[in-house]
Amino acid sequence: MKLVAVTACATGIAHTYMAAEQLEKTAKAMGHQIRVETQGAMGIENELSSSDIRQAHAAILAADIEVEGSERFEGVKLVRVPVQDAIKDPRGVIVRAL
Amino acid sequence: MQRDVSVAAEFRFECKLPNGLHARPSSRLAEVANRFQSRCGLTNLRSGATADLKGVLSTIAADVRRGDTCLLVIDGADGSAAAAALRRFIDEDLPGFDEPLAEAFPGGSAPQLPRGLESAGSHCLVGLPASGGIGRGKAVAIGRASLTVDFAGPAEDSRLENERIDRAFTGVRTRVERLLARNGGRAESAILRAHLAILGDMTLRRDLTERVARGCSAAQAVADTGEHFRALLECSGSGYIRERAIDVDELCSELLEEMYGARFQPAAADLNEPSIVVAKTLAPHQLLSLDRQWLEGIVLESAGATSHAVILARSMDVPAVVGVADATRQIATGAEAIVDGGRGWVFPRASEPVLRFYQRERAAQLRRQTALARFAAAPAISLDGESIDIGANVSSAAEAAAAFANGADGIGLFRTEILFAEREQPPSEEEQLAVYTEALRAAAGRPVILRTADVGGDKPLPYLRLPDERNPFLGFRGIRLYPEHREWISAQFRAALRASARGPIWLMAPMIASGEEASWFKNEVGLAKAELRASGLPFDEKMPIGAMIEVPSAAFALDRLCVALDFFSIGTNDLSQYFFAADRENPKLAAVANVRHPAFLALLHRIARRVREHGKWVGLCGEMAADARNLPLLLGLGLNEISTGAHAIPALKRAAARHSAALCRELLENAMASATAADVETLLDSALPGDPSEPLLSSALVTLRSDSRSKDEAIREVVGALYAAGRTEDPRRLEEVVWARESVYSTGLGHGFAVPHCVSDLVSVNSIGILKLDNPIEWGSLDGNPVRMVILLAMRETGQNGMHMKIFSRLARKLMDQEFRDRLMGIEDPELMISHVGRELEVTL
Repeated sequence: MKLVAVTACATGIAHTYMAAEQLEKTAKAMGHQIRVETQGAMGIENELSSSDIRQAHAAILAADIEVEGSERFEGVKLVRVPVQDAIKDPRGVIVRAL
Repeated sequence: MQRDVSVAAEFRFECKLPNGLHARPSSRLAEVANRFQSRCGLTNLRSGATADLKGVLSTIAADVRRGDTCLLVIDGADGSAAAAALRRFIDEDLPGFDEPLAEAFPGGSAPQLPRGLESAGSHCLVGLPASGGIGRGKAVAIGRASLTVDFAGPAEDSRLENERIDRAFTGVRTRVERLLARNGGRAESAILRAHLAILGDMTLRRDLTERVARGCSAAQAVADTGEHFRALLECSGSGYIRERAIDVDELCSELLEEMYGARFQPAAADLNEPSIVVAKTLAPHQLLSLDRQWLEGIVLESAGATSHAVILARSMDVPAVVGVADATRQIATGAEAIVDGGRGWVFPRASEPVLRFYQRERAAQLRRQTALARFAAAPAISLDGESIDIGANVSSAAEAAAAFANGADGIGLFRTEILFAEREQPPSEEEQLAVYTEALRAAAGRPVILRTADVGGDKPLPYLRLPDERNPFLGFRGIRLYPEHREWISAQFRAALRASARGPIWLMAPMIASGEEASWFKNEVGLAKAELRASGLPFDEKMPIGAMIEVPSAAFALDRLCVALDFFSIGTNDLSQYFFAADRENPKLAAVANVRHPAFLALLHRIARRVREHGKWVGLCGEMAADARNLPLLLGLGLNEISTGAHAIPALKRAAARHSAALCRELLENAMASATAADVETLLDSALPGDPSEPLLSSALVTLRSDSRSKDEAIREVVGALYAAGRTEDPRRLEEVVWARESVYSTGLGHGFAVPHCVSDLVSVNSIGILKLDNPIEWGSLDGNPVRMVILLAMRETGQNGMHMKIFSRLARKLMDQEFRDRLMGIEDPELMISHVGRELEVTL
C-alpha cells in the first residue's frame, strides 16, 4: 500500500522528525511504502508532490499545528493525529490509514 | 578677644511639625546653622531647655514638640545672614519635613521562588540584596552591646563620679584619636570620626552631669544617657541619624569599658561554626570583631544598602541581605538559615529541598567561575584580533583588589566620593594618598582612573553646607562646586598627584560641561603641581588628566576639551538621563532613557569619533557596559576601555572573544540608521554573539553522573551546564522557556529518554546538553516510564545555522532507534559520548 504523511510540531526541532522516523520505519516493517514530508524549523523538507498524493491510498497528518498546504489532500482519505500518537504508536496510526 | 554683640539677631518660631523637632529636621537645621560662623542658640520656651543648633543631639534633646514656641538667638559676625537663612529654612522648608517617608522596602511581598521550591514549605523573608553570594549557617542574633551596669555598685560622691566620667572621656578620646591616626584610609575611620564628634557634643556631657547630680553612679549615668539618646535617634526617619544611634551606643560601651575595664563585658558574638549573623543594625566594629572564618552571611533589619557595614561586607565578600522586616524576631537563633545575597532572600529555617537547591546552585556557580577563570586572566580580544580593555568600577581600595582578582585590566572608575561621605570632615591629603596607594598596589602597574569627588546634588555632605536644591541632578555638583571649595578639592588633586609618583594614576573630573571648566581643572591641577614642587614632594609631571563625558554639552565641546585634557570617560548613566531629559530612577521613563536608542548611539559615536580624531583616549563607564548584550555596540564604537562592576568582567571578556570588531562597526552603523529602539533590539538579536565555530556539543555539556532527583532539578542542571559554559547568561529565564514547552506536553519520548527543547535567543550558540541520571525520574513520558537520560536541544531563534538544524533533526530521528539509545546509555565517558554521537550523525562535532 502507498501512503503519504506530513509531520509538524510546535517548535519543529524534535517531535516533527521523531514522528517522521517512526512512520517511515514502521511502514517499511509493515511492508508499505510511505513518503513523509516534515514541516519543522528548517521549513518544508521532502515535500510531497501532487502525484505522490494522487497515488496514495491515504494521507496521515501527524501535526500539533496547522499544516501548510492541507488543501493538497482534498479528496484523499485523511487520518489526522497529534504528533505524539505517531511517535508512541506508529503502527496503530498506520492501521487506521489502511 | 572682644565679641561683637552688635549684630546679634533673635526671633521666635512655633514648631508646627506633628512629631516635633526630631532627628531629621534637627539635622537639617544643624546643616543650615553650620554654614555660618555665628553661634546659634535655641531655647524651648515651654520647658526652658536650651540647645546649640549646630549639634544634632543637642537640638533633639531640647525636646521641641508641636506647638512649642522657641527662641533663636544668633550671635556673631555673620549673624544677620545666619538669621535670614534660618528664618527662611524654618518658614519654607521645615513644614515639609514631616511628610511620610517612603517605605524603604515594600516589606512582605512574596518572592517568586524557583520552580520546585514553591511547595517546599520553606518560609522565605525578602529584603534588599546588598552583597552577593549564597551563605549557609546557624543563625546567630547579635544585639547591641548590653549597657547593664549591675557590676558598678551604688553611686559614690558626685564629685568622684564626675571625675570618673571626665577620665573616661579623656581616655576614650585619646584611644579613638590614636586608632584614627593608625587607621588611615579605611572604612573604619569614618566611625571613629563620628565617635569623636559625639564626644565633643556638649548636650551629651550636660545630660551626664545632670544625672550624676541627681545621684546616679557614673556607670548608671552613662547607661541611661546612652539609652536616652539612642532612643531619640532611633526614631529618626533618616538612615544617617539612625546610624548615629549605634555610634552613641558604642561610645557608651567604650566609656563603661574605660571606667570599669574587664568588669564591663559588652555582649559579643563568639562564632564557632558556620554562622549567619542576624541583627537590627551592625556597627562596622561589630562586624570586624566577628571571626571571618565562620561568618557566612549577614541579615539586617536596617535598610542602608550603602552603610559602612554593607560596604565592608561587600569588600569581605560576605553575602548580605538588608531591610528584612522583623528579621531578629523571625529568625530563630540556632536554626539552619540560608542567605541569598544576590536575590535578597533569607530562609530562616531552610528545609531539605531549599538546602539542596542552594547546594546545587553554589556548585553551578563554582563551575561557571572555573570555566570563566581562563577568560578573566587573559586580555579581551575580538575574533578579528582587536583588543579592548575591560576595567572595573570601584569605590574602595579593597574593592579594587577584588576587581583585579576578577580579571580587571585597570580601574576604569574609582568613585572617590565614598571617601568623603558619612563623616564630619573631608579626608586629609595623607588619608587619601594612603587609599590611592593601596589601590595602586593592587593594580600592580595597571592604570587606576580616579574620579574627583562627585559630591553635591543628590550626594550632599554635612561639611559642604550646600543649599537645598529643587533639582539636585541639575544642581550644584561635581566640578561646578570645586571653585567654591578649593581648599579640600586641591587636597584631592595633591593626593592624586603624589600617588602618581607611585604608579599610573589618571585623574578625571565629573560633570564637565564646557571648555572653560576643563581649562579651570587643568589649571588647578597645575597649581597643585607647583605646590608639591615647592614642598619637594615627588609626583608624575605627565599624570593624565581627563573628564567624565556625562553632560550632553560636553559632547559638542570636544575640540576644546581635547586641547586641555588627555582622556575621556563616557558616563552613560548620567549622560542618558540628561540627553533624554528622563530621570533614570523613574521606572515609567525606562523606555525613554534607553541607551540602545539610535539617537543615543549616535551621540556615543560622535563622542568616540571626535576624541579619537584628536588622538586621545576614550573609555566608557556605566551600567551600559555591564550588559553583554550591548557589547557589539560598544566594540563598534572603537573604545579603548569599557569599565563596569567587577563581577561582569570575565563574562564580558569571553563575549568579546566571540565578536568581530569589523562586524560590530557595521552593526553600529545599522543601529544608528535604525528608526526605532525596537529595530536596534532586532539587530542585536541577529548579531550572532556565538562563535560560529563553537560546536553544538562539547564535553562541558555532558554530565554522566547526575544526581538530580526531579524534573525541576534535571532541567535546572542541564540548563546550568549551558550557563557554566557561557552559552546562556540568563539560566533562570531559559529554564522557564524549556518549561513552557513541557507544559504543551511532556518531552519524555519513552524508553527512558526525554528530549526537552527550546528555540530561544537566550542561548548564544545552538547547544545539545546531555544528562545521564543516577536515579530514574518521573517525566510524564509517552510510555509512562521514568527517564534515565535527558537530552536538551537548545536552538537560537535568529541567525540560524542550517547545518546545526540538520544535526538536530538527525539526532531526533536517531533517538527512535533502540540500538542508538542503548549505545548512548552504555557510554561512561563524556568524550566518547561526543565522538559517538558525532559519528552516528555523520558530522564533525
